[in-house]
This record gives sequence, C-alpha cells and structure tokens, in this order.
Amino acid sequence: MERRQDIVLGVVFAALGLFAAVRAAAYAGASGTYPMVLGLALSGFGILVAGKAVLRGKPEPRPLTLHAGRVAITVAIGAVYLALVPILGFYTASALVVLALPLALGFRQPVFLALTTAVFIAIVWVVFSIVLEKPLPAEFWQTF
Amino acid sequence: MDIVTQVLSGVFAVGPVAAMIGASILGVFIGALPGLNPVMAIALLLPLTYSMEPLVALGMVAGIYNGSMYGGAIPAILLRIPGTPAAIATTFDGYPMAQRGEASRALKIACWSSALGGTASAIALMTIGPILARATLAFGPAEYFWIAMFGMASIGVLVGTDAIKGLMAATLGLLLGTVGLDQLSGTPRFTFDQVWLLSGLDLIVILVGLYALPPVIALAEAADLKGLSAAQLKLEPAKVPWSEVRSFVPTWIRSSLIGIGVGILPGAGGNIAAFLSYNAAKSASDDPDSFGKGNPAGVAAAECGNNADNAASMIPALTLGIPGNVIAALVLGALLIHGLQPGPQLFHQNPGLVGGFMVQMLLTSLLILAVGGAAATKVFAQVQRLPGVLLVPTILVLMAVGVYVINGRVVDLWIMFAAGLAGYVFEKVNVPLAPIVLGLILGPMAEQNVRRALLISRGDVTELVTRPISAVIALATLGLIVYPVASAIMRRRRAA
Repeated sequence: MERRQDIVLGVVFAALGLFAAVRAAAYAGASGTYPMVLGLALSGFGILVAGKAVLRGKPEPRPLTLHAGRVAITVAIGAVYLALVPILGFYTASALVVLALPLALGFRQPVFLALTTAVFIAIVWVVFSIVLEKPLPAEFWQTF
Repeated sequence: MDIVTQVLSGVFAVGPVAAMIGASILGVFIGALPGLNPVMAIALLLPLTYSMEPLVALGMVAGIYNGSMYGGAIPAILLRIPGTPAAIATTFDGYPMAQRGEASRALKIACWSSALGGTASAIALMTIGPILARATLAFGPAEYFWIAMFGMASIGVLVGTDAIKGLMAATLGLLLGTVGLDQLSGTPRFTFDQVWLLSGLDLIVILVGLYALPPVIALAEAADLKGLSAAQLKLEPAKVPWSEVRSFVPTWIRSSLIGIGVGILPGAGGNIAAFLSYNAAKSASDDPDSFGKGNPAGVAAAECGNNADNAASMIPALTLGIPGNVIAALVLGALLIHGLQPGPQLFHQNPGLVGGFMVQMLLTSLLILAVGGAAATKVFAQVQRLPGVLLVPTILVLMAVGVYVINGRVVDLWIMFAAGLAGYVFEKVNVPLAPIVLGLILGPMAEQNVRRALLISRGDVTELVTRPISAVIALATLGLIVYPVASAIMRRRRAA
C-alpha cells in the first residue's frame, strides 16, 4: 500500500461521498435516503482507505504510468479527436486520428500507415453507414 | 411449439449461426493479440447489438468469449506472452514445448482442452441453471435486495487485492446507478439540470470507457512499432497420438470440475481456474518435476480449466442476476439492452432466449475445434505481425463509433473518455473496476427491491432480515464483509 497515493485516493472518495450525501439529503422522501446512505458509505470507505494508508502505508509510490510521455500524447490526441468529431465529421476526424496517433508514437512507415487508414476507415464506413445505416456526425464538407 | 424446438429453431436460424461462427473467429484473433482481451472486445461489441435480435447479439458474445479464451493460448505458447490473463498458466509448459519445436502439438492440445472445458462448462450451465432458477422463485423483494448486496459484497471483497477498495468501488457503482430520474417517484437525482442525465448514465458508455480505454493506453505505452517477424511465428506440423489423448482424460475431468466450481463463485475468474487446475494436475502427476519444463498435461490442465470457467460464470448471472465475472456482467448488460431483466423470472418469461444462449455457449465451445485447428492457428498467429501502435487509434475509433451510435450524442463520447481515464487511474491504484460495473447493473435492482420491501412492510426495516431466506443471505453478506477484517485482525494478533 502506497501512503501518499492512497491518502489522496481515500480523501477524494470521502469528499465525493460526502458531496453525494449532502446533495441527496435535499431530495424528497425515499428518493434521497438510498443515495444518501450510499454517499455516507462511500465517504466511510474513503476515510478507511486514507486512514489505513496513514497508519500502515509505505512511502513507495506505484508508477502511475509506464511511459508518461506516450500516455500524455495518447490522451491529448484522443481528446482532440473527440473534440473534432462534431466539427469535422466522424470519418474525417477518425482518418486524422488513425494517421496522427501512430506517427506521434514513433511509427515511420507512411505508406503502410496510409493504406491501413484507408482500409480501416472503409471497413468502418461499410459496417456502420452502409450495413447498419447508423447516423454519424456529418462531414464538414457536407454542410457547405 | 415445445421449448426444445423453440430453442433449436432460434439458435439454428441464419443470423445466430453466422454470429457464432464470425464471433468465434474474431474471438480467437482477439485472444491471439496480446493487449486485446475479451472484456474489451465484448464491451466494444455491445453498442452494436442494440438493433440486433437478442440471439444474434448473445451468439456473438458467446463466440468472442469462448474463442478468445483459446486464442490467448497462441501467444502464450509461441512467445510466452499470455494473450489473455487466463492464459498465464498456459505459458508454464506451453512455451517450453514450443522451444523444443513442439508448438503445433501444444496448440493442438490447447485447442482440444479449451473445447472440452468449454463444453463441460456449458453442460453445467444447462443443468444447474434451470434448477437454481426454480429454487429462487420463492424470493421476494427483500431476498432480491440481499442477493444484490451479496453479489456486490462478494465481488467487492474477492476481486482485487484490497477488500476495502473493492467495497469502495462497489459503493461508487451503486451511487452512479442512482443518477437520473428516480424510477419510483420521478425525482431527478444528481442531474445538475442537465436533460441528458435524466435517463441516467448509460451502462454501455461507461463499460466501453472503463474496459477499452485502459488497454488502449497500455498499448500506446508499449509502442510496438514492428510486430513480430514471420520466422518467430513459424509452425511445424505435429501429431498427437491417441494414447496421449487418452492420458489427458483424468486431467480434463479434474480441470473441468475445478473451472466450473470457480466459475460459479462470484469474483473468481478464468485465471484462477487455470492456476488451480494446473496445480491440481501437477499434484496428481507421477512426475510433478516435469511441470514447468514442457509437460503437455500442464497445457491441457490450464486451458481446460480456464475455458471451464466460461459458461459456469453465467450460472449466478442468469439465475440470480449476479455475474460471476466481468464478462458475465457484460452479458447482463447485453440482456438489459434488449429489455430482459436477468434473474429467475428470465427463465420463465424467456425460456427460448435463455435456453438458446446456453446452447450457444455449448456450440461456440465446440466451434473452437473447427476455428482453432492447425491451419487456422497458423493464420491467427500471423495477426501478431501487426504493429501494436496501429491498434491504438483503430480501437479508439471503434470505441467512439460504438458509443456514439447508442444515443447519437457527442456528450457520451466525453463520458466514455472520462470513465476510461478514471478506469486507467483506478487500475494503477488497485481499485478494481468490476465492482463499479456490478454496482451500476445491480444498483437499480437493489434500490427498487429494498423500497418495495419497505412499502410492503409499511416501513418496518426488520422485515428485511426476519424472513428466513433473506436472513440467511443477509448473514452471508455480513460474513463476507466481516471475514477479511476479522482475519486481518487475527493475523496481526498472532504476529504480535
């Protein structure tokens, strides 16, 4: 058990539980009782986790990432991708992320990457737009 | 139409048959690719099943589940990299066999053992499931409330390394399950004036985030740019003599029984079944020292054990609504998508569907023999030539499209992303994810039943524990929570 990480974890859960309990207390009748009890229980478990870490934790932090840079790149590009989906359209944003993310992670075979992107996007288009006929965010050029 | 005809006509229709075959092949591919796992694959698949017939959707789940459990053995034997956590024990003897040039033989043994374990497990599901469902017909709201609590407590305590964190995760799941309109009074809870929150948090959106994003980030961290070379994946043909097959029979019987037992227990998974089966085979062997050095019986035990866990984990899920493992929780999600409430009533209201799913678990176990044969395994092994970094964005896109098509809302993409990041951090700080999912599934059931029980008893709380069956389940739940605390205190006293 890592002391600092578990103290933070316990405090976050305790605060979340307390917030939920206070919020639930405002709900009328039985609607509020159940989430209030759960909120208090969550708080209690949070305090237990933090308390246990204070009493018996060791100052040996667990590594939260194996490679912080690659995690940051993936999370950042993933977030940008989700932000671009409603702006550029699903297929355009998806093609960009399939091209950009491997490049950002160090993949240097552009022809292979371009082919993979084309084949993959074509498969997704056939499955979701042609076979399943699922409506997806429209492509930006379709709005002109 | 009698039930058998109804089940068979449903299962052997074109759609379910195609779903089972396609998903079994896909399952072996997924299992063969280290970094991908059946939980992630089924989580990604679930959003697509909304518009499908239930037996097509469940056939796909069954195929991916059974197929991937065998697929995990391919990299475990060839590369000592378990394709799934359940294949760890397969590496012990599978890889030494491959080093001796017996990879094909080990893969054949793994294939037969997986098929047999899965078949035995499906037979257990088909026989024990209906009996248990009949027994639980006597249950009222109080019993259902305690069953939900028992499931939560068992998953919370048994999964992971820290019981308190498990219980904390379970409580978080239960709390997340209260978001949205209260189903009994119509009061909006934790909606923060957001209309899209009125219907609550979508289970599938959370599931996809929790179970698909952490492996994607892990693949990015590994940054595999090349994949494996063809030479690393070369397989020589091999024959397994009939006398050797016969020598595996006791191992298969023992491992099947262990896997079924582990599967029924909520919280224990295929990896535990494989380890227990492996150890049992080693203990029963005349030459235990040969285990870990390429003994084929080690491969047979591990693979039979981990597949025997599959269908058995559905027994508590289908009869009581308590999943034995995360995949069983996903199956519950698939049933809920189609408006089917897991539990004893499911057997009486939808016998064709439940029976059909049980038959599909059996058929997809047998399908391993067809799709996991020597030639097919050679093809599946080739998927490991794909550079891992290409999988990172492709899975991300599949997650996005799968989640978006559920409700057609961009906000769901962000919820999925947030759930995934939370899941990634939770895994790092040893907070198990399964109790959160179970809380989301069982939370509404628990709340509705406890409030219904209190309405029936006119607010008398003692009614929850004075009925004999509910008292027994309540005591078992309490015991589950108190036991780890009490044993820790005892251990400390003894040490002092």
